[in-house]
Amino acid sequence: MLELKDVSVSFAGLQALSQVSLSARAGEVRALIGPNGAGKTTLFNAITGYVPIASGAIMLNGAPIQGLSPHEIAALGVRRTFQNGGLFGELTALENVLAGLHSRIDASFAGILFGTRAARDAERAAVARARELLRTLGVAHLADQPVKSMSGGQQRTIEIVRAVAAEPPLLLLDEPAVGLAPPLRAQLVELIRRLAGQMGIAVLLIEHAVDLVMAAADAVAVFNGGIKIAEGTPAAIRADPAVLEAYLGHG
Amino acid sequence: MRFYLIPLAAAAIPLVANPYTQFMVNLMLVYILVAVGFNLVLGNLGQLAFANTALFGIGAYTAAMLMAHAGWPFWLVILPAGLAGAAAGFLASVTALRGIRVYYLAIVTLAFGELLRWSYIHGERATGGTDGLAVPRADFFGIALDSETARFYVFLLIVTVLVKAVSNLLRSRIGRAIVAIRDNELATASLAIPTGRYIVLAFALSGFVVGIAGSLFAVLIGRVIPESFGLIELILHFAMVLVGGLGSLFGSVLGAVVLTALPEFFRRFPGMYEMFFGALLIVFLLAQPRGLAALAARWWPQLRDRYYRDR
Repeated sequence: MLELKDVSVSFAGLQALSQVSLSARAGEVRALIGPNGAGKTTLFNAITGYVPIASGAIMLNGAPIQGLSPHEIAALGVRRTFQNGGLFGELTALENVLAGLHSRIDASFAGILFGTRAARDAERAAVARARELLRTLGVAHLADQPVKSMSGGQQRTIEIVRAVAAEPPLLLLDEPAVGLAPPLRAQLVELIRRLAGQMGIAVLLIEHAVDLVMAAADAVAVFNGGIKIAEGTPAAIRADPAVLEAYLGHG
Repeated sequence: MRFYLIPLAAAAIPLVANPYTQFMVNLMLVYILVAVGFNLVLGNLGQLAFANTALFGIGAYTAAMLMAHAGWPFWLVILPAGLAGAAAGFLASVTALRGIRVYYLAIVTLAFGELLRWSYIHGERATGGTDGLAVPRADFFGIALDSETARFYVFLLIVTVLVKAVSNLLRSRIGRAIVAIRDNELATASLAIPTGRYIVLAFALSGFVVGIAGSLFAVLIGRVIPESFGLIELILHFAMVLVGGLGSLFGSVLGAVVLTALPEFFRRFPGMYEMFFGALLIVFLLAQPRGLAALAARWWPQLRDRYYRDR
């Protein structure tokens, strides 16, 4: 699915990522952990085209995607959420999810302009699909609320629903559990497992909460100072001395 | 279908209006297009582009010059006026795409408007200079637009068609993409939405609508002069969008109607209008930046602008 080979990113001479290799496989949740500033979000930004890479290669299904713009990479089936929240605040949950379905709505410009039957049918089908998604993921009651009036946890959920709306083969979640109360975190773990298990999505997950990572991930990659220092099953990572040092060393 | 109830009801206005009132109503129709077009870029796309009087003037001069110099009938110049406005809107979008945003975009677009006004004044042969250009008698597919009533029905038709088209666009994936760019441009791109293309589209559409408004204005007033497209006019356009409601189609209509009618209420109190107008702008900027439309939606939630349609 996704294959990173020796990817490096630098900002004004500062090395943010050094020769990182990583892969993501369908149906698998791979967690990225490490202290703040370890380069995890930079890695997401590199994969999704928001920052250029200095060297290395990013392959999606065998084809290089580095150098493409964010919307082009997204069009290849890569979706992400944002650490600081990427929702459209003035829009409702339904409208946000509909924006996630943008490329799935088969309506021509002229058709939309004149309100032709074909364009209205395409739009109606998308609305039905968006409502169904919100229902399946347990947030149907929020559909017609503007997202800016929602709690942090609700917003995170809506952002995930929006990200998976177009059934992307690859999903990048950037700290989805920030600000979630414990019962909601359990729900989030369940949701992530469903995305990978039932929908077969390849998930990359940045997360600080160790309990959540252990419960949700099939594999864990550990980052420190822009370098991947370890990778393995959650159990193996928990016992890895290099990982313990990275965490203890940074308090 | 509910949409058409308003123009249908408005069609009865000539039965009760005298020619002067009818002229004011026609002017409202022109300003509805002005505000609807301006709001697309200012409210929906959220870009501080102040080229609106430039777009308005380009539409008006395109129509007037084609009618006066080339002898084209009115119905034939409407589309070219819209296209000329769209081309100017496209030009403004290029600056925005190149990263010239916020105050810089505001200044660049203001300068563009003043540059155009300068060229109207100095392009005497084509534009008639400061005296302007007289617009010949307008003809709409054989109907002479020589009375306020005749102009009203033609204007009402054009405004209805255009506002309906904008409404269709806003309640589709196109409208959602435009508003999404305003709320979070980076996140919009992450959903496979080509943001640059929609920024250009919003600017060009805005120019198209305002350009056509210019052609109607030329015919309504009967003469285009550079003074009609200056900064005072721009503040009026801005006030219509602001008082009506940034990003609200219904608000654009409301703002245009209210602010076109407002001077009439102050005719017997010279000087009061300017004071009231200034105070109104300040009050809305500080206390109600979402305008009358947001106030109305508080009492009547169905009025909230929706960016999808399920009918």
